Amino acid sequence: MEARDPERRLTRPGGRTAVSQHLGLLPALAVLLLLYGGAVLGALRVSLIPLGGGTGELTLDAWGAVFADPTFLDALAFTIRITVIATAISALLALLLALSVRDRGLLARVSSAGPVPVPHLLVATVAVLWLAPGGIADRVLGGLPLNPIRDPGGSGVILVYVFKETPFIALLLLASLGRSVRQREEAARVLGANRLQAFTWVLWPALRAPLLLGSLIVAAFTIGSFEVPLAVGPSYPQTLAGWAFEATRGDLISGEGEAAAALLVAGALAVALAAISARFARNVEGG
Amino acid sequence: MAERIWKAAGWMAVGLLIVLPGLSLVLQSFANSWRAPAVFPQEFGLRGFEIAFSSAGAIGAGLDSLAVASATTALCLVLAWPAARALAQCGIARSPLVVLVIALPLLMPPYLAGFGLTEWFIRLGLDATVIGLVLAHTVLALPYAVIILTFGFGSHLRELEEMADLAGLSRLRRLAWVSLPSVRPTLATAALLSFLVSWSQYGPSLAVGGGRATLPVVMLPFIRTDPQVAAALGMLFIVPAMLVLVWAVRSQRNPL
Amino acid sequence: MTDEFRKPGRSFAAASTLAAILLGVLVFAGCGGEEPAPTASVQSFTEIREEARGQTVRWWMFGGDARINEYVDEQVIPAAERRGVNLIRIPITDTAEAVQRVAAQRRAGKTGGGRVDLIWINGENFAAGKEAGLWLEDWSEGLPNSKLVDFEDPSINLDLAVPIVGQEAPWSRAAFIYAISPSAVPEPPASFEDLLAWAKENPGRFSYPAPPDFTGTSFVKQVVIEMGEDRAFEYLRELQPLMWSEGERFPASEAELNELFANGQVDFAMSFNPNFISTAVEKGQFPESTRPLLLEGGALVNTSYVTIPADASSTAGAQVVADLLLAPGLQAVKADPAGLGIPSVLDRTRLDQRQLALFAGDESSPYLLEDFGDTKTELPAERVAPLEERWKREILSGG
Repeated sequence: MEARDPERRLTRPGGRTAVSQHLGLLPALAVLLLLYGGAVLGALRVSLIPLGGGTGELTLDAWGAVFADPTFLDALAFTIRITVIATAISALLALLLALSVRDRGLLARVSSAGPVPVPHLLVATVAVLWLAPGGIADRVLGGLPLNPIRDPGGSGVILVYVFKETPFIALLLLASLGRSVRQREEAARVLGANRLQAFTWVLWPALRAPLLLGSLIVAAFTIGSFEVPLAVGPSYPQTLAGWAFEATRGDLISGEGEAAAALLVAGALAVALAAISARFARNVEGG
Repeated sequence: MAERIWKAAGWMAVGLLIVLPGLSLVLQSFANSWRAPAVFPQEFGLRGFEIAFSSAGAIGAGLDSLAVASATTALCLVLAWPAARALAQCGIARSPLVVLVIALPLLMPPYLAGFGLTEWFIRLGLDATVIGLVLAHTVLALPYAVIILTFGFGSHLRELEEMADLAGLSRLRRLAWVSLPSVRPTLATAALLSFLVSWSQYGPSLAVGGGRATLPVVMLPFIRTDPQVAAALGMLFIVPAMLVLVWAVRSQRNPL
Repeated sequence: MTDEFRKPGRSFAAASTLAAILLGVLVFAGCGGEEPAPTASVQSFTEIREEARGQTVRWWMFGGDARINEYVDEQVIPAAERRGVNLIRIPITDTAEAVQRVAAQRRAGKTGGGRVDLIWINGENFAAGKEAGLWLEDWSEGLPNSKLVDFEDPSINLDLAVPIVGQEAPWSRAAFIYAISPSAVPEPPASFEDLLAWAKENPGRFSYPAPPDFTGTSFVKQVVIEMGEDRAFEYLRELQPLMWSEGERFPASEAELNELFANGQVDFAMSFNPNFISTAVEKGQFPESTRPLLLEGGALVNTSYVTIPADASSTAGAQVVADLLLAPGLQAVKADPAGLGIPSVLDRTRLDQRQLALFAGDESSPYLLEDFGDTKTELPAERVAPLEERWKREILSGG
């Protein structure tokens, strides 16, 4: 393509440039739609058709059983609760972390991102090693006042998630604080803005979107994950995915249908959350 | 003065939250025996690593994971780059359905992949092949890559590219000298996350891969049942991931 | 911005929806699939052995026990190789993962060439697969070494009260035993009533995993078997406030209970693996002073098996491996108290002198019980889920 005149690009008639730009989305969309779309639809099918049945055996039994089960509704409430708390705390701490670490040297920035490459289950294991009764903290201090491990309130789960996700969100934030932001910040300071004003007018607009996005990713992940609650969460109530995991234990045939339904509910929750944040972001951006 | 206190507090936090747990993991891997009420292991030994390298086959599994993760990262970036450019041009908010499809693997529970992906990949004939596994990992990592890259393709980059066009640079030169260096921090972050997603995948490796022994597959059964071996494998797991992290964090500095 | 940027966005929306619908049709249309041939064809075992040569058998089994992994790697795999079978051990965290893979293959309409050839399995996982028709039928009693096994024994031909009907081959004996630390429990209780009395004097020092965990459910089952369901639940409710964490938190698995025991939080551990103390001591988890214990003068006895999915790619090879696992030589190595200490499933009365000699001369181990006392009768399979529900209602959320 020839070198483009910036003016010409905006006023070029017809949708050709626009379409060819959209073309770039095609490979990624094709891969995702074909491979993952089929997976989601497959799960939907599992929830509607029992194992070994054909299309004629479509039934809403699994969905009905799921919503009629009080343990499921408890799981739903519990999942929403820990998601809100964990995401809010992580987002706030991540903001503070990113701001305090962005001017520091490599060592500081790498250590603050330390938990990111560690798998969730390993973090949970270390949490148990330290914080459980009889754990290292208990041995060193001679007794702990609280026990977050398997706490019916879910504090163990929240703790592990905050530990893992705060550096993750901070990483996203730091990636958006590039040189252009720094230049504008310096310009603002030169023009006489104080720290708070520089934050409000330069940093915050740059951080808003990745913060929202990072929080959304963390929330979606918390809604759907089950390994951490399995390791440090209470036996009751469970999370949605933990409930689904257990549903497959007893009866494989009906259990898989119910599990798929529960997982789709969790997914729907995350999608709803994404839709709400998208609307919120649009209003904030001003269209 | 306040600056010093802040700095000291920061290092203390790092020490308490990162270094100490990390050290305990290292200690655990060398602890043949570590029970209450001892603060330090009662018995040190190499049992964890012996088992990790022999019956657990850590080296083979690790190399396998590395190959798959590298391929996944490359494929992710290749697919994500044009997609992110397109999204940045038209604005994310403008095509909600497109963004929904892209973000779907992020929003759906990971456990769902076990249900849907396996069966679908078997039908497509992609299961139990390396390419199938790479594709499965790519599908799960792509949302991260696309979304993160989109943030890097802002108006700042457009300005730079226009300047390059005006200067008469060819497209290839513009890519190599202007675009890539400018988005290095976001590119590095996208690469890091794609790598980590693939590196830590457990379910698909077993289900879609038909039992392919990657490092997480070998490591997970030992967690909670054999803490020493789990810690040893955990360290072998973390080290390459850490290296990629360091590279990514270094690249977050000094963009154009 | 201008309309031209909006139009492509809309056409994309249309295209994606269309694609999604097409996909949906594809996914929903091609389901069910024909019934795979479940019975092993009527072949003599010599023919099966011939067919097995050169086959690769993928054995999906729990990968978190280093000693069993070693046993398989160092004993079973070479033995299989000598028969021309390439045995690969696939480590998993939970047997359900293997069952789910087979179920996914079934849903995708596969009738053969499956990636799962052999599974180490028992109990619920086997029952679930059996009901869904996932396993190969009528093969386990035809193995040459099967004549050394007493298939009339109800603890073998019933897997947790579900008839195995030739769909799985026995591998190891299991018995539900307890572990104590003699210094903490100098006078070990002999019955559940004794246990309750001990708990009254030592509150907060006993716990069991929460059902539906397998170990937890087995404990509850043993209580129910001893005293009947209603009295059992009275007992458990009485025990609850005397338990660790005042009965408000339960370990989620046997592994967690072991952790609590190892860290001196509780004085009892329990497991269906009769060698779990020996394994834990070798791992450095339990102190060397730990000793096994039986309650009520007996134990629930169980067997763990291997099963072959009907759509396995190497059914002949898998049968050869299953037969190998029953070979007296390999069973003796596994049963050696100095090593794994997992009791054999072979019927001693059916072994000849030479084979018996393989088991002789083994020193006993303080971590293993030679005799499991009276064998307790298992509850019928359909009573288990209601029991677990009742436990959840009355103990977990009732509390």
